[in-house]
Amino acid sequence: MPTVRVTPRYLGRGSWLARRDPRLLVISLALFVLAVVQVWDLRILALLGLVAYLYYRSARIPFREVRGNWAYVLFFVTFIIVVNTILTGGELRGYTDEQLHVYFRLPLLGTPISAESLTYAAAQYMRFIPMAAMGFPIAFAVAPADIGPAFARLGVPDRFAYALDLTYRFVPSLAADMRTTIDAQRVRGYDWEREGRGPVGKVKRVAPLMVPVTVNAIVGAEDTIDAMDLRAFGTGPRTWLRHLAFDATDRLVLAGFAVLLGIVTVLSQTGHTELWVPELLQRLGS
Amino acid sequence: MTALMYDRENPWEVTTRTIVYAAIGAALYAITAQFQFPLPGTANVFLRPSFALVPFFGFAFGPIVGLFVGLVGNAIADQISGWGLLTSWNWSLANGLAGLIAGLAGYWLAGGIRNRVARSAVAAAIGVVIGFLFVLTDIWLGTAEDIGVAMVDNYIPVVIGNLIVSVILVPILVAAWEPVRESIGR
Repeated sequence: MPTVRVTPRYLGRGSWLARRDPRLLVISLALFVLAVVQVWDLRILALLGLVAYLYYRSARIPFREVRGNWAYVLFFVTFIIVVNTILTGGELRGYTDEQLHVYFRLPLLGTPISAESLTYAAAQYMRFIPMAAMGFPIAFAVAPADIGPAFARLGVPDRFAYALDLTYRFVPSLAADMRTTIDAQRVRGYDWEREGRGPVGKVKRVAPLMVPVTVNAIVGAEDTIDAMDLRAFGTGPRTWLRHLAFDATDRLVLAGFAVLLGIVTVLSQTGHTELWVPELLQRLGS
Repeated sequence: MTALMYDRENPWEVTTRTIVYAAIGAALYAITAQFQFPLPGTANVFLRPSFALVPFFGFAFGPIVGLFVGLVGNAIADQISGWGLLTSWNWSLANGLAGLIAGLAGYWLAGGIRNRVARSAVAAAIGVVIGFLFVLTDIWLGTAEDIGVAMVDNYIPVVIGNLIVSVILVPILVAAWEPVRESIGR
Protein backbone atom coordinates (compact mmCIF):
# COMPACT_ATOMS: atom_id res chain seq x y z
CA MET A 1 0.00 0.00 0.00
CA PRO A 2 1.45 3.39 -0.92
CA THR A 3 2.52 5.62 1.94
CA VAL A 4 0.21 8.58 2.36
CA ARG A 5 0.67 11.18 5.05
CA VAL A 6 -2.71 11.21 6.71
CA THR A 7 -1.84 12.83 10.02
CA PRO A 8 -2.96 16.46 10.18
CA ARG A 9 0.10 18.69 9.73
CA TYR A 10 0.11 22.10 11.38
CA LEU A 11 2.49 23.63 8.84
CA GLY A 12 1.33 27.22 9.16
CA ARG A 13 2.01 27.43 12.88
CA GLY A 14 2.76 31.01 13.98
CA SER A 15 1.72 32.57 10.67
CA TRP A 16 -0.60 35.57 10.44
CA LEU A 17 -3.48 33.36 9.34
CA ALA A 18 -2.82 30.72 12.00
CA ARG A 19 -3.13 33.43 14.65
CA ARG A 20 -6.64 34.26 13.48
CA ASP A 21 -9.76 32.75 15.02
CA PRO A 22 -10.13 29.35 13.26
CA ARG A 23 -13.78 30.15 12.47
CA LEU A 24 -12.51 32.88 10.19
CA LEU A 25 -10.85 30.31 7.94
CA VAL A 26 -14.03 28.28 7.57
CA ILE A 27 -16.34 31.27 7.01
CA SER A 28 -13.91 32.95 4.59
CA LEU A 29 -13.68 29.77 2.52
CA ALA A 30 -17.47 29.40 2.40
CA LEU A 31 -17.93 33.05 1.32
CA PHE A 32 -15.17 32.73 -1.27
CA VAL A 33 -16.55 29.49 -2.74
CA LEU A 34 -20.02 31.06 -3.00
CA ALA A 35 -18.47 34.01 -4.84
CA VAL A 36 -16.30 31.99 -7.23
CA VAL A 37 -19.05 29.62 -8.38
CA GLN A 38 -20.93 32.60 -9.81
CA VAL A 39 -18.07 33.75 -12.03
CA TRP A 40 -16.81 32.70 -15.49
CA ASP A 41 -15.23 36.02 -16.50
CA LEU A 42 -11.43 35.61 -16.53
CA ARG A 43 -10.83 39.20 -15.45
CA ILE A 44 -12.93 38.83 -12.30
CA LEU A 45 -11.49 35.38 -11.68
CA ALA A 46 -7.99 36.87 -11.87
CA LEU A 47 -8.90 39.32 -9.11
CA LEU A 48 -10.41 36.55 -7.02
CA GLY A 49 -7.27 34.50 -7.67
CA LEU A 50 -5.15 37.36 -6.35
CA VAL A 51 -7.24 37.49 -3.18
CA ALA A 52 -6.82 33.73 -2.75
CA TYR A 53 -3.07 33.98 -3.38
CA LEU A 54 -2.57 36.70 -0.75
CA TYR A 55 -4.71 34.77 1.72
CA TYR A 56 -2.76 31.56 1.03
CA ARG A 57 0.58 33.35 1.40
CA SER A 58 -0.47 34.68 4.79
CA ALA A 59 -0.61 31.08 6.04
CA ARG A 60 3.14 30.61 5.29
CA ILE A 61 2.72 26.95 4.31
CA PRO A 62 6.11 25.67 3.05
CA PHE A 63 5.66 24.63 -0.58
CA ARG A 64 8.02 21.65 -0.32
CA GLU A 65 5.68 20.15 2.29
CA VAL A 66 2.59 20.38 0.11
CA ARG A 67 4.03 19.73 -3.38
CA GLY A 68 2.24 16.39 -3.53
CA ASN A 69 -1.06 17.97 -2.53
CA TRP A 70 -0.74 20.64 -5.23
CA ALA A 71 0.18 17.99 -7.81
CA TYR A 72 -3.01 16.13 -6.91
CA VAL A 73 -5.08 19.31 -7.26
CA LEU A 74 -3.60 20.12 -10.68
CA PHE A 75 -4.06 16.55 -11.91
CA PHE A 76 -7.65 16.42 -10.71
CA VAL A 77 -8.63 19.80 -12.20
CA THR A 78 -6.99 18.88 -15.51
CA PHE A 79 -8.84 15.57 -15.48
CA ILE A 80 -12.19 17.31 -14.92
CA ILE A 81 -11.52 19.83 -17.70
CA VAL A 82 -10.34 17.26 -20.27
CA VAL A 83 -13.22 14.88 -19.60
CA ASN A 84 -15.73 17.74 -19.65
CA THR A 85 -14.39 19.00 -22.97
CA ILE A 86 -14.44 15.55 -24.58
CA LEU A 87 -17.88 14.63 -23.26
CA THR A 88 -19.47 17.89 -24.34
CA GLY A 89 -17.89 17.62 -27.79
CA GLY A 90 -16.57 21.14 -27.38
CA GLU A 91 -20.07 22.57 -26.92
CA LEU A 92 -20.44 25.39 -24.45
CA ARG A 93 -23.45 26.66 -22.61
CA GLY A 94 -24.82 29.77 -24.34
CA TYR A 95 -22.83 29.25 -27.57
CA THR A 96 -23.96 27.76 -30.87
CA ASP A 97 -21.48 25.98 -33.19
CA GLU A 98 -21.52 29.00 -35.51
CA GLN A 99 -20.43 31.33 -32.72
CA LEU A 100 -17.30 29.30 -31.87
CA HIS A 101 -13.89 30.47 -33.14
CA VAL A 102 -12.43 27.06 -33.96
CA TYR A 103 -8.64 26.45 -34.14
CA PHE A 104 -8.67 22.74 -34.95
CA ARG A 105 -10.57 19.54 -34.26
CA LEU A 106 -9.33 16.62 -32.16
CA PRO A 107 -8.44 13.61 -34.31
CA LEU A 108 -10.99 10.76 -34.20
CA LEU A 109 -13.35 12.57 -31.80
CA GLY A 110 -13.85 15.68 -33.93
CA THR A 111 -14.19 17.83 -30.81
CA PRO A 112 -13.58 21.46 -31.80
CA ILE A 113 -10.85 23.27 -29.87
CA SER A 114 -11.93 26.89 -29.98
CA ALA A 115 -11.19 30.26 -28.42
CA GLU A 116 -14.29 29.72 -26.32
CA SER A 117 -13.39 26.21 -25.12
CA LEU A 118 -9.84 27.30 -24.23
CA THR A 119 -11.21 30.26 -22.30
CA TYR A 120 -13.68 27.97 -20.58
CA ALA A 121 -10.85 25.60 -19.61
CA ALA A 122 -8.78 28.52 -18.29
CA ALA A 123 -11.80 29.69 -16.30
CA GLN A 124 -12.16 26.21 -14.78
CA TYR A 125 -8.53 26.34 -13.64
CA MET A 126 -9.04 29.83 -12.28
CA ARG A 127 -12.11 28.73 -10.35
CA PHE A 128 -10.76 25.55 -8.81
CA ILE A 129 -7.18 26.48 -7.99
CA PRO A 130 -8.10 29.55 -5.90
CA MET A 131 -10.76 27.48 -4.11
CA ALA A 132 -8.12 24.85 -3.32
CA ALA A 133 -5.68 27.57 -2.21
CA MET A 134 -8.31 28.96 0.16
CA GLY A 135 -8.92 25.44 1.52
CA PHE A 136 -5.26 24.63 2.21
CA PRO A 137 -5.04 26.85 5.33
CA ILE A 138 -7.89 24.90 6.97
CA ALA A 139 -5.81 21.77 6.51
CA PHE A 140 -2.45 23.23 7.44
CA ALA A 141 -2.94 26.44 9.44
CA VAL A 142 -5.53 25.45 12.02
CA ALA A 143 -4.33 23.69 15.16
CA PRO A 144 -6.02 20.27 15.12
CA ALA A 145 -7.31 20.82 18.65
CA ASP A 146 -9.18 23.95 17.49
CA ILE A 147 -11.36 22.14 14.94
CA GLY A 148 -14.01 21.01 17.46
CA PRO A 149 -14.45 24.35 19.26
CA ALA A 150 -14.44 26.19 15.93
CA PHE A 151 -17.35 24.20 14.52
CA ALA A 152 -19.17 24.26 17.87
CA ARG A 153 -18.98 28.06 17.86
CA LEU A 154 -20.18 28.09 14.25
CA GLY A 155 -23.46 26.58 15.44
CA VAL A 156 -22.80 22.88 14.91
CA PRO A 157 -24.46 21.00 17.81
CA ASP A 158 -21.96 20.20 20.57
CA ARG A 159 -22.14 16.45 20.12
CA PHE A 160 -21.35 16.65 16.41
CA ALA A 161 -18.63 19.23 16.94
CA TYR A 162 -17.10 16.85 19.42
CA ALA A 163 -17.48 13.99 16.92
CA LEU A 164 -15.54 16.11 14.43
CA ASP A 165 -12.86 16.75 17.02
CA LEU A 166 -12.75 13.04 17.78
CA THR A 167 -12.43 12.18 14.09
CA TYR A 168 -9.22 14.20 13.80
CA ARG A 169 -7.88 12.51 16.93
CA PHE A 170 -8.66 9.05 15.56
CA VAL A 171 -6.97 9.62 12.18
CA PRO A 172 -3.33 9.12 13.29
CA SER A 173 -4.05 6.17 15.57
CA LEU A 174 -6.25 4.37 13.04
CA ALA A 175 -3.68 5.00 10.30
CA ALA A 176 -1.08 3.32 12.54
CA ASP A 177 -3.49 0.42 13.19
CA MET A 178 -3.94 0.04 9.44
CA ARG A 179 -0.19 -0.13 8.83
CA THR A 180 0.11 -2.75 11.58
CA THR A 181 -2.69 -4.78 10.01
CA ILE A 182 -1.09 -4.57 6.57
CA ASP A 183 2.18 -5.84 8.00
CA ALA A 184 0.42 -8.61 9.92
CA GLN A 185 -1.46 -9.75 6.82
CA ARG A 186 1.73 -9.66 4.75
CA VAL A 187 3.34 -12.03 7.20
CA ARG A 188 0.44 -14.36 6.42
CA GLY A 189 1.08 -14.03 2.68
CA TYR A 190 -1.44 -11.32 1.85
CA ASP A 191 -0.28 -8.66 -0.56
CA TRP A 192 -2.51 -5.64 -1.07
CA GLU A 193 -0.65 -4.48 -4.14
CA ARG A 194 -0.94 -7.78 -6.01
CA GLU A 195 -3.50 -7.46 -8.78
CA GLY A 196 -6.82 -9.23 -8.28
CA ARG A 197 -8.77 -10.83 -11.12
CA GLY A 198 -11.08 -8.21 -12.57
CA PRO A 199 -12.75 -5.43 -10.62
CA VAL A 200 -14.62 -7.83 -8.35
CA GLY A 201 -11.39 -9.64 -7.53
CA LYS A 202 -9.63 -6.35 -6.82
CA VAL A 203 -12.38 -5.25 -4.43
CA LYS A 204 -12.45 -8.65 -2.71
CA ARG A 205 -8.71 -8.38 -2.12
CA VAL A 206 -9.38 -5.38 0.13
CA ALA A 207 -11.57 -7.37 2.54
CA PRO A 208 -8.70 -9.00 4.50
CA LEU A 209 -7.46 -5.51 5.24
CA MET A 210 -10.68 -3.58 5.70
CA VAL A 211 -12.56 -6.08 7.86
CA PRO A 212 -10.01 -6.46 10.71
CA VAL A 213 -9.19 -2.75 10.75
CA THR A 214 -12.88 -1.78 10.92
CA VAL A 215 -13.97 -4.41 13.44
CA ASN A 216 -10.95 -3.77 15.68
CA ALA A 217 -11.59 -0.03 15.57
CA ILE A 218 -15.23 -0.50 16.56
CA VAL A 219 -14.42 -2.95 19.35
CA GLY A 220 -11.60 -0.70 20.56
CA ALA A 221 -14.02 2.21 20.73
CA GLU A 222 -15.70 0.67 23.78
CA ASP A 223 -13.05 2.19 26.06
CA THR A 224 -13.63 5.65 24.59
CA ILE A 225 -17.41 5.24 24.93
CA ASP A 226 -17.12 4.11 28.55
CA ALA A 227 -14.75 6.96 29.39
CA MET A 228 -17.13 9.49 27.85
CA ASP A 229 -20.19 7.99 29.56
CA LEU A 230 -18.40 8.00 32.91
CA ARG A 231 -17.79 11.71 32.42
CA ALA A 232 -21.51 12.21 31.67
CA PHE A 233 -20.94 13.14 28.04
CA GLY A 234 -23.99 14.71 26.44
CA THR A 235 -25.99 15.21 29.62
CA GLY A 236 -25.64 18.99 29.49
CA PRO A 237 -24.25 21.80 27.38
CA ARG A 238 -20.59 21.21 26.59
CA THR A 239 -17.86 23.66 27.46
CA TRP A 240 -14.56 23.83 25.59
CA LEU A 241 -11.16 24.46 27.06
CA ARG A 242 -10.24 26.64 24.08
CA HIS A 243 -12.12 29.94 24.07
CA LEU A 244 -12.52 31.61 20.69
CA ALA A 245 -13.15 35.28 20.08
CA PHE A 246 -12.97 37.37 16.92
CA ASP A 247 -10.65 40.34 17.21
CA ALA A 248 -10.80 43.52 15.11
CA THR A 249 -8.59 42.05 12.37
CA ASP A 250 -10.78 38.94 12.12
CA ARG A 251 -13.88 41.10 11.76
CA LEU A 252 -12.21 43.21 9.10
CA VAL A 253 -11.18 40.16 7.06
CA LEU A 254 -14.65 38.64 7.37
CA ALA A 255 -16.23 41.91 6.32
CA GLY A 256 -13.90 41.98 3.33
CA PHE A 257 -14.98 38.52 2.17
CA ALA A 258 -18.64 39.38 2.78
CA VAL A 259 -18.28 42.53 0.65
CA LEU A 260 -16.49 40.49 -2.02
CA LEU A 261 -19.38 38.03 -2.14
CA GLY A 262 -21.87 40.89 -2.26
CA ILE A 263 -20.10 42.58 -5.19
CA VAL A 264 -19.76 39.34 -7.13
CA THR A 265 -23.43 38.50 -6.54
CA VAL A 266 -24.51 41.91 -7.86
CA LEU A 267 -22.24 41.50 -10.90
CA SER A 268 -23.62 38.01 -11.50
CA GLN A 269 -27.23 39.13 -11.21
CA THR A 270 -26.60 41.93 -13.69
CA GLY A 271 -24.97 39.57 -16.21
CA HIS A 272 -21.37 40.72 -15.82
CA THR A 273 -19.79 37.41 -14.81
CA GLU A 274 -20.43 35.36 -17.96
CA LEU A 275 -17.62 33.78 -19.98
CA TRP A 276 -15.43 36.51 -21.48
CA VAL A 277 -13.36 35.45 -24.49
CA PRO A 278 -10.33 37.70 -25.16
CA GLU A 279 -10.44 39.46 -28.54
CA LEU A 280 -6.98 38.15 -29.44
CA LEU A 281 -8.06 34.52 -29.03
CA GLN A 282 -11.13 35.12 -31.18
CA ARG A 283 -9.03 36.62 -33.97
CA LEU A 284 -6.79 33.53 -34.02
CA GLY A 285 -9.77 31.25 -34.68
CA SER A 286 -11.90 30.85 -37.80
CA MET B 1 -32.07 -7.71 20.68
CA THR B 2 -30.76 -9.81 17.84
CA ALA B 3 -30.26 -7.32 15.10
CA LEU B 4 -28.30 -4.18 14.48
CA MET B 5 -29.24 -0.55 14.98
CA TYR B 6 -32.04 -0.61 12.41
CA ASP B 7 -34.24 -2.76 14.67
CA ARG B 8 -34.34 -0.09 17.35
CA GLU B 9 -37.37 2.06 17.86
CA ASN B 10 -35.74 5.35 17.01
CA PRO B 11 -33.10 5.47 14.26
CA TRP B 12 -32.45 9.16 15.04
CA GLU B 13 -31.26 8.58 18.60
CA VAL B 14 -27.89 10.23 19.26
CA THR B 15 -25.94 8.64 22.10
CA THR B 16 -22.27 8.54 23.08
CA ARG B 17 -22.03 5.37 21.02
CA THR B 18 -23.41 7.21 17.96
CA ILE B 19 -20.80 9.94 18.32
CA VAL B 20 -17.84 7.61 18.76
CA TYR B 21 -18.83 5.22 15.98
CA ALA B 22 -19.42 8.18 13.65
CA ALA B 23 -15.97 9.56 14.43
CA ILE B 24 -14.30 6.18 13.93
CA GLY B 25 -16.11 5.58 10.64
CA ALA B 26 -15.24 9.04 9.33
CA ALA B 27 -11.58 8.66 10.30
CA LEU B 28 -11.35 5.20 8.71
CA TYR B 29 -13.01 6.47 5.53
CA ALA B 30 -10.71 9.50 5.36
CA ILE B 31 -7.60 7.34 5.72
CA THR B 32 -8.56 4.58 3.32
CA ALA B 33 -10.16 6.86 0.71
CA GLN B 34 -6.66 7.66 -0.53
CA PHE B 35 -6.52 4.24 -2.19
CA GLN B 36 -8.50 3.71 -5.37
CA PHE B 37 -8.03 2.11 -8.76
CA PRO B 38 -9.63 2.61 -12.18
CA LEU B 39 -12.25 0.19 -13.47
CA PRO B 40 -10.66 -1.52 -16.49
CA GLY B 41 -12.08 -0.39 -19.82
CA THR B 42 -13.47 2.90 -18.50
CA ALA B 43 -12.11 6.43 -18.63
CA ASN B 44 -13.27 7.84 -15.33
CA VAL B 45 -14.78 5.10 -13.20
CA PHE B 46 -12.68 4.59 -10.10
CA LEU B 47 -13.27 1.90 -7.52
CA ARG B 48 -12.77 3.28 -4.04
CA PRO B 49 -13.14 0.25 -1.75
CA SER B 50 -13.25 2.40 1.34
CA PHE B 51 -16.60 3.83 0.27
CA ALA B 52 -18.18 0.60 1.58
CA LEU B 53 -17.56 1.95 5.08
CA VAL B 54 -20.19 4.65 4.52
CA PRO B 55 -23.22 2.40 3.92
CA PHE B 56 -21.84 -0.14 6.40
CA PHE B 57 -21.73 2.37 9.26
CA GLY B 58 -25.13 3.73 8.21
CA PHE B 59 -26.64 0.26 8.14
CA ALA B 60 -24.97 -1.02 11.31
CA PHE B 61 -25.20 2.05 13.53
CA GLY B 62 -27.98 4.17 12.10
CA PRO B 63 -28.59 6.93 9.56
CA ILE B 64 -27.00 9.68 11.66
CA VAL B 65 -23.74 7.73 11.79
CA GLY B 66 -23.96 7.03 8.04
CA LEU B 67 -24.50 10.71 7.28
CA PHE B 68 -21.55 11.76 9.44
CA VAL B 69 -19.19 9.09 8.09
CA GLY B 70 -19.91 10.04 4.47
CA LEU B 71 -20.01 13.80 4.93
CA VAL B 72 -17.08 14.30 7.30
CA GLY B 73 -15.04 11.32 6.08
CA ASN B 74 -15.11 12.51 2.48
CA ALA B 75 -14.38 16.12 3.46
CA ILE B 76 -11.37 15.08 5.55
CA ALA B 77 -10.20 12.73 2.79
CA ASP B 78 -10.29 15.70 0.42
CA GLN B 79 -8.40 17.73 2.99
CA ILE B 80 -5.71 15.06 3.34
CA SER B 81 -5.30 14.79 -0.44
CA GLY B 82 -5.01 18.57 -0.72
CA TRP B 83 -8.24 19.11 -2.62
CA GLY B 84 -9.63 21.08 0.31
CA LEU B 85 -12.18 20.50 3.03
CA LEU B 86 -15.06 22.29 1.31
CA THR B 87 -13.97 22.50 -2.36
CA SER B 88 -16.26 19.61 -3.31
CA TRP B 89 -18.73 20.07 -0.48
CA ASN B 90 -21.57 18.75 -2.64
CA TRP B 91 -19.74 15.44 -3.15
CA SER B 92 -19.17 15.16 0.59
CA LEU B 93 -22.86 15.78 1.15
CA ALA B 94 -23.72 13.16 -1.50
CA ASN B 95 -21.53 10.65 0.36
CA GLY B 96 -23.32 11.58 3.58
CA LEU B 97 -26.73 11.18 1.99
CA ALA B 98 -25.72 7.74 0.71
CA GLY B 99 -24.85 6.72 4.29
CA LEU B 100 -28.03 8.29 5.68
CA ILE B 101 -30.27 6.56 3.14
CA ALA B 102 -28.48 3.22 3.56
CA GLY B 103 -29.19 3.52 7.30
CA LEU B 104 -32.83 4.37 6.74
CA ALA B 105 -33.26 1.69 4.08
CA GLY B 106 -31.88 -0.93 6.48
CA TYR B 107 -34.43 0.24 9.02
CA TRP B 108 -37.34 0.23 6.55
CA LEU B 109 -36.42 -3.10 4.97
CA ALA B 110 -36.15 -4.89 8.33
CA GLY B 111 -39.62 -6.41 7.93
CA GLY B 112 -39.22 -7.32 4.27
CA ILE B 113 -35.78 -8.92 4.06
CA ARG B 114 -35.07 -11.04 7.10
CA ASN B 115 -31.51 -11.96 6.10
CA ARG B 116 -29.38 -9.17 7.48
CA VAL B 117 -26.47 -9.72 5.14
CA ALA B 118 -28.71 -9.57 2.05
CA ARG B 119 -30.56 -6.60 3.53
CA SER B 120 -27.30 -4.71 3.98
CA ALA B 121 -26.44 -5.13 0.29
CA VAL B 122 -29.87 -3.87 -0.81
CA ALA B 123 -29.78 -0.96 1.65
CA ALA B 124 -26.29 0.03 0.47
CA ALA B 125 -27.37 -0.09 -3.18
CA ILE B 126 -30.42 2.11 -2.46
CA GLY B 127 -28.22 4.54 -0.56
CA VAL B 128 -25.74 4.81 -3.43
CA VAL B 129 -28.31 5.23 -6.20
CA ILE B 130 -30.38 7.86 -4.38
CA GLY B 131 -27.71 9.62 -2.33
CA PHE B 132 -25.40 10.36 -5.22
CA LEU B 133 -28.14 12.12 -7.18
CA PHE B 134 -26.93 15.12 -5.20
CA VAL B 135 -23.77 15.30 -7.33
CA LEU B 136 -25.98 16.66 -10.12
CA THR B 137 -25.55 19.97 -8.29
CA ASP B 138 -22.26 20.07 -10.21
CA ILE B 139 -24.30 21.68 -13.00
CA TRP B 140 -24.98 24.67 -10.76
CA LEU B 141 -21.39 24.75 -9.52
CA GLY B 142 -20.02 24.67 -13.07
CA THR B 143 -18.08 21.42 -12.77
CA ALA B 144 -20.44 19.82 -15.29
CA GLU B 145 -21.63 21.64 -18.36
CA ASP B 146 -25.15 20.20 -18.48
CA ILE B 147 -27.32 17.34 -17.22
CA GLY B 148 -25.90 14.96 -19.85
CA VAL B 149 -22.33 15.60 -18.77
CA ALA B 150 -23.29 15.47 -15.10
CA MET B 151 -24.86 12.06 -15.61
CA VAL B 152 -22.15 10.57 -17.87
CA ASP B 153 -19.14 12.21 -16.23
CA ASN B 154 -20.19 12.24 -12.58
CA TYR B 155 -23.29 10.37 -11.49
CA ILE B 156 -23.11 7.14 -13.50
CA PRO B 157 -19.36 6.50 -12.93
CA VAL B 158 -19.57 7.12 -9.20
CA VAL B 159 -22.70 4.99 -8.86
CA ILE B 160 -21.15 2.10 -10.83
CA GLY B 161 -17.94 2.22 -8.81
CA ASN B 162 -19.66 2.55 -5.46
CA LEU B 163 -22.28 -0.09 -6.23
CA ILE B 164 -19.55 -2.61 -7.03
CA VAL B 165 -17.65 -1.98 -3.81
CA SER B 166 -20.79 -1.71 -1.68
CA VAL B 167 -22.57 -4.88 -2.74
CA ILE B 168 -19.34 -6.83 -2.28
CA LEU B 169 -17.84 -5.33 0.87
CA VAL B 170 -20.84 -4.18 2.93
CA PRO B 171 -22.25 -7.73 3.35
CA ILE B 172 -18.74 -8.97 4.21
CA LEU B 173 -18.37 -6.25 6.85
CA VAL B 174 -21.85 -6.95 8.27
CA ALA B 175 -21.19 -10.71 8.35
CA ALA B 176 -17.87 -10.10 10.14
CA TRP B 177 -19.24 -7.54 12.59
CA GLU B 178 -22.46 -9.28 13.63
CA PRO B 179 -20.91 -12.16 15.66
CA VAL B 180 -18.46 -9.75 17.26
CA ARG B 181 -21.34 -7.45 18.21
CA GLU B 182 -23.22 -10.31 19.80
CA SER B 183 -20.13 -11.50 21.66
CA ILE B 184 -19.56 -8.09 23.23
CA GLY B 185 -23.26 -7.73 23.99
CA ARG B 186 -24.02 -4.70 21.84
